[in-house]
Amino acid sequence: MTNTTTTQQVNYNGMDDDAFRQMVHDWFVENYPEELRFPPERMHWDQCGDWYMTLAKKGWLAPGWPAEHGGMGLDANKLLIFMDVNESYGVGRTPDQGMTMVGPLLIQHGTEEQRAHYLPKILAGEHIWCQGYSEPGAGSDLANLSTSAVRDGDDYLVNGHKIWTTLAMDANQIFVLVRTDKEGKKQQGITFLLVPLDTPGITVRPIVNLGMHDEFAEVFFDDVRVPVANVVGGEHQGWGIAKALLGHERIFIGSPKFAILAMSRLKALADMAGLFADPLFVDRYTQLKMDIADLGAAYKRFVEVLKRGGHIGAEVSMLKIWNTETQQRVMDLMLDAAGEHGGVWGELETADGVARAAGDFIGARPTTIYGGSNEVQRNILAKAVLKLPS
Amino acid sequence: MEDISLQSKIDVLSEEQVLIQDSAVAFIAQDEELKRVRASRFTQPGYDKAVWQEMAESGWLGFLVPEEYEGVGLSFSELNLVLIQLGKGLSPVPFVSTAVAAARALVKGDNEALKKEKLPLLVAGEWTPALAWQEVRANLSEKASAVTCANDVLNGVKLFVPDAGGADAFIVSAATDTGTGLYLVDKDAAGISIEYEQRVDGGFYGHITFADTPVSDMVAAAGNGEGQGEAVLAAVLDETRVAVSAELLGVMTRALEISVDYIAQRVQFDKPIGSFQALQHKTVDLFILTEISRSVLLQAATVFDSDASAQERAIAASQVKARCSDAALTVGKDAIQLHGGIGYTDEANIGLYLKKAMYLSSWLGSASAHRARYAELTL
Ligand SMILES: Cc1cc2nc3c(=O)[nH]c(=O)nc-3n(C[C@H](O)[C@H](O)[C@H](O)COP(=O)(O)OP(=O)(O)OC[C@H]3O[C@@H](n4cnc5c(N)ncnc54)[C@H](O)[C@@H]3O)c2cc1C
Repeated sequence: MTNTTTTQQVNYNGMDDDAFRQMVHDWFVENYPEELRFPPERMHWDQCGDWYMTLAKKGWLAPGWPAEHGGMGLDANKLLIFMDVNESYGVGRTPDQGMTMVGPLLIQHGTEEQRAHYLPKILAGEHIWCQGYSEPGAGSDLANLSTSAVRDGDDYLVNGHKIWTTLAMDANQIFVLVRTDKEGKKQQGITFLLVPLDTPGITVRPIVNLGMHDEFAEVFFDDVRVPVANVVGGEHQGWGIAKALLGHERIFIGSPKFAILAMSRLKALADMAGLFADPLFVDRYTQLKMDIADLGAAYKRFVEVLKRGGHIGAEVSMLKIWNTETQQRVMDLMLDAAGEHGGVWGELETADGVARAAGDFIGARPTTIYGGSNEVQRNILAKAVLKLPS
Repeated sequence: MEDISLQSKIDVLSEEQVLIQDSAVAFIAQDEELKRVRASRFTQPGYDKAVWQEMAESGWLGFLVPEEYEGVGLSFSELNLVLIQLGKGLSPVPFVSTAVAAARALVKGDNEALKKEKLPLLVAGEWTPALAWQEVRANLSEKASAVTCANDVLNGVKLFVPDAGGADAFIVSAATDTGTGLYLVDKDAAGISIEYEQRVDGGFYGHITFADTPVSDMVAAAGNGEGQGEAVLAAVLDETRVAVSAELLGVMTRALEISVDYIAQRVQFDKPIGSFQALQHKTVDLFILTEISRSVLLQAATVFDSDASAQERAIAASQVKARCSDAALTVGKDAIQLHGGIGYTDEANIGLYLKKAMYLSSWLGSASAHRARYAELTL
């Protein structure tokens, strides 16, 4: 596949904020399919593949990546505007683990060959990634994972069972944490591996979620052969790599992106139901709106650290906690505002797209579970940041 | 599953109440794993007629029907014991729709001949009417306006009628020149069309359109006096709110039991996760919420079993519906959180409790709607 992403070398950061906002908005209006605005659930590849490729061609798949690696290279301020327009217009989420996780990881910890091989394929939409960390016995206690990789010549033989793998059925690549050494502390002896999903011995079984959609899956490994060259960061070094990556995941989950989306649906519903005439509602609404605006301020602070090439530590957990819990409170208010509609799957027509109170309320449940549950994040903050005794 | 409520520790039940509760416990134990509940989801009428018959034989359908109409003539204090168990078992039967809302509309209405004819059939499980009163989303008004009745013919649309699919007839509130009356309409009467909307819990709401639909009888004459439509409907809706609150209490109680059980078993970091203080505190908070809810429900039953005024009943109904709606949603949400990933699957039963809570807490007025009503009635 040819590299389609080098055409964009626009200096977005030099643009005036309003002009940038307008440009992004106009381009979405022109290019994003109307029928996919505010999709009720994560879109599968057959729905969003075309859009992914449109973004890829425009060079807008990875707004936060440095321009030298094919991203838009947006600064924190522009990144927030980009997200805001994206979510307010109801542009659905594509399978983005390649952009949010694998790319940034390889940029930091990959070899030159790995970067050259994988990054263009992500940007071109050729590689769709999913994340294979969790196992039935290793959720919050991720280091307890037992999927094993045993050396056999230039390969590993991988055996085990991953679970809750988001959109594994649409992906063609998976990054996994495997156990390469059973001795010593749990955290030692873990290795980070990149695996093509079409490798013989891999079976993907979809799981139906609470919203009645097959958005995640189980992935079984049965004597799966993976070249040693697919290790990122060295054998037995996977825990450190995973932690670095979790930082990226948490700053992504900590971005106000999804809270803005939630708020835009609440506003549409409230407009329709005339709720802005009720001062009590306006107060509750505004409180949430300010919670999100304030999160934006904190998010910018963290993103600036990354842009400076600095390191973000455990403190990033505060963003994830604030964001996800605000999002859930937005959904509480939305459910309440919907009346009996909060008990049905169907949608309400509003002047700005549809509102699905019940579906969105259910969809907000796992935000406090995945990417490290909020209880675990609080443990981390207490120990690593406040240095409280254990 | 072990009962973790404070009932056995601090409440006193009569012998008869113990028997009623025991038989309700045994009834839901038949489907402890919720296999039947799951199989009935998204089907019509959504429940097994044999099960309904079993409930009729236990006398439950006649709890709130006086003996002169072949009912049992018991009170809310007994009824709630059954409803709590039905909530725990997520039983999809139209118990509240038929044996509370419709039955009470008939009992309280002023058509003596109709009561004599229909109530024995209802109590025997042979006739399942449902109440169609709501016209606007998130609106609690008992005054009909969108549906009218003139010359014994109905026109207009009623919204959010649970259990419409399995109903044999509807009791419909309608506006007339002299106020709101209640009318009986056969399900297969001319001009009725029903649009079904899937609820999150697997049941359906019916949205019912009447186009010159003939009324088969009058349940309560138009007006706001004793035994007349508007007053009857107001009283019946408050009774139904108490009944739904009892069901919600059952839902939250079992969701908590399942969660406590789960966190005691699930091991992470080489320990049961229930040993972590963060989860212990969260679970204790949920326990307090359910016992506060149970206390309010007991109090509401006492009010409804007394000769309290309509105003006192309205206050009690809003108090208990606000509390139980709020608490059931909170318990349902936190129960998912306590389960982690498995809680977000369709396969795990815990999610069914959240969905039932979402339905019942938004039906007949959400927590905030009832807080607003409580404020209006008490300030
Ligand atoms: C929608 C969704 C998508 C997901 N996508 C992916 C994916 O793509 N790839 C992937 O690898 N994984 C994915 N996951 C898995 C996710 O990371 C795990 O669910 C999460 O780590 C929690 O693990 P668990 O489900 O085993 O719950 P458990 O770890 O069993 O946790 C259950 C409860 O116990 C609490 N708990 C656990 N330990 C402690 C403690 N020490 N102190 C206090 N409380 C504690 C938790 O907070 C939670 O409330 C996804 C999960 C969901 C719900």
